[in-house]
Amino acid sequence: MEEQIAELTAQVAALKGSAGVTNTMFAETFYYLTIPLMIIIHAGFLAYEMGASRMKNVLSSGVKNILAFAFMVPTFYFFGWWVYWGFPTGFTFTAGPAGISGAEYASSIALGWGESAQYMGPNIADQASGVFFGAFALFAATTASIMSGAVIERIQTVGFVILAIVLGSFAWVVAAAWGWHADGWLVTKFGVHDFGAAGLVHAVAGFFALGVLINLGPRIGKFNADGSANHIAGHNMPLTVTGLMLIIVGFWGFLMACVIVPGEAWSWFADKPATIYGTPITLSALSFNILMAIAGGIIGAWIYTKDPFWMMSGALAGIISTASGLDIYYPALAFIVAFSAGVILKPCATWLENRGIDDAVGAVTVHGTIGVYGVIMLGVFASGFPALQGAAGEVPTINLIGQIVGAVVFFLLGFVPGYVVSLILKSMGMLRTPEAAEIAGLDPVKVPAQGYPEGIPASAAASD
Amino acid sequence: MGFPYDSATWDVVDGAMFMGAGSAMTGIYTLIAAGICVYVLWAGNRSEKKQYEKAEK
Repeated sequence: MEEQIAELTAQVAALKGSAGVTNTMFAETFYYLTIPLMIIIHAGFLAYEMGASRMKNVLSSGVKNILAFAFMVPTFYFFGWWVYWGFPTGFTFTAGPAGISGAEYASSIALGWGESAQYMGPNIADQASGVFFGAFALFAATTASIMSGAVIERIQTVGFVILAIVLGSFAWVVAAAWGWHADGWLVTKFGVHDFGAAGLVHAVAGFFALGVLINLGPRIGKFNADGSANHIAGHNMPLTVTGLMLIIVGFWGFLMACVIVPGEAWSWFADKPATIYGTPITLSALSFNILMAIAGGIIGAWIYTKDPFWMMSGALAGIISTASGLDIYYPALAFIVAFSAGVILKPCATWLENRGIDDAVGAVTVHGTIGVYGVIMLGVFASGFPALQGAAGEVPTINLIGQIVGAVVFFLLGFVPGYVVSLILKSMGMLRTPEAAEIAGLDPVKVPAQGYPEGIPASAAASD
Repeated sequence: MGFPYDSATWDVVDGAMFMGAGSAMTGIYTLIAAGICVYVLWAGNRSEKKQYEKAEK
């Protein structure tokens, strides 16, 4: 009898071990696969920006975009990852209630030297740090790419890369530490809920771009002497629209990476997935709401513009407007919010253009304005939902005032560094390309290759 | 540098398993990699300026 019990105990232990290995491999694979999906976002931004550029600037726009990705990864490795873990409690750098923040904690896991280096490279006992780092580095690259499209055809390459580093490896990371971390003060003190990063990624990036655009100025020929605007068409609308669709494909990976899988030592729960705040979520919730949001955004933009560029931008706006609450929206409500975002998209872009801002791809509106709109809309509809995991009365709840505070902070975290750093670059002569280069085209000036060496076939030109 | 465990067998590996693990080399590699990024920005800016000067002539 005792022998049988011992045998059963051993078998149970072996089964537990086997299940644990399977779960750990599943968790690691889950985040690993979000990385190539998010690289699709970058492929989308690349196509989108190149299509929105005139032929004389197409490769220069591509170079800029590729470099944003390339510099984001190492700089996020050098200090961005530390910022996420070090900043949640604000500038005190102390540990928060969950005990996974502060300078001491960040220095123990996120520096590429000393003891913490063991978590910053291959480690058979750590199957989480690398995939989490990878997912966050791709969040960073996405954020920098959002600004990239707005400034095409007249920004200097290195000046742009510096701005991308400030945005992607610092500004949005501070926003994430404050509003997208269980110890973040916006979460613990104001109940801010931004599951899919409408504010801390999109609004920060969109308004960072606005700060840059003010100092950068419009492209030559964009505005007439009386202040009226001209439309500067990109050379390839199908490429732009396809790029937008690729961004939407990649966003499934982005939003999937916002889910904390169960069953690991670092998981919120043993048996159910959670958001980064420890509140429950399912991939089914994401499927319902993302699809309805995409549809709502497209339909809203179509009814107002009939333009495929704005329709696909509407799809993005649909996701962004509901991103804060994709975990808890009812799908029909997600559709309504996304539809309204699609409708207001073009008027908001026109309003900005009428104020002399030349945003070549509408990034300030799609990401900034709609990001803030989404954060606030969640406060309107989700007030009273617990914002964090914990007992009733002990955790903050989502509320409109908290969401407005979050929106203001995200706006400032984007706009202020964007404006200040671009102003410094401008004073150093590193922001804007010289007029002669802009008129000649940036490709012939600084790219040793041609986008279309054989030209565009006559049959592809519009017929009379 | 070298294998970061006393015995040259993977059987003893239970943690970090990269080149330079447990030594000051991780910091040196990190510093050099960061230095490369800074240098490339400086050199890239210088080259870009020259190209703009050419276009202005």
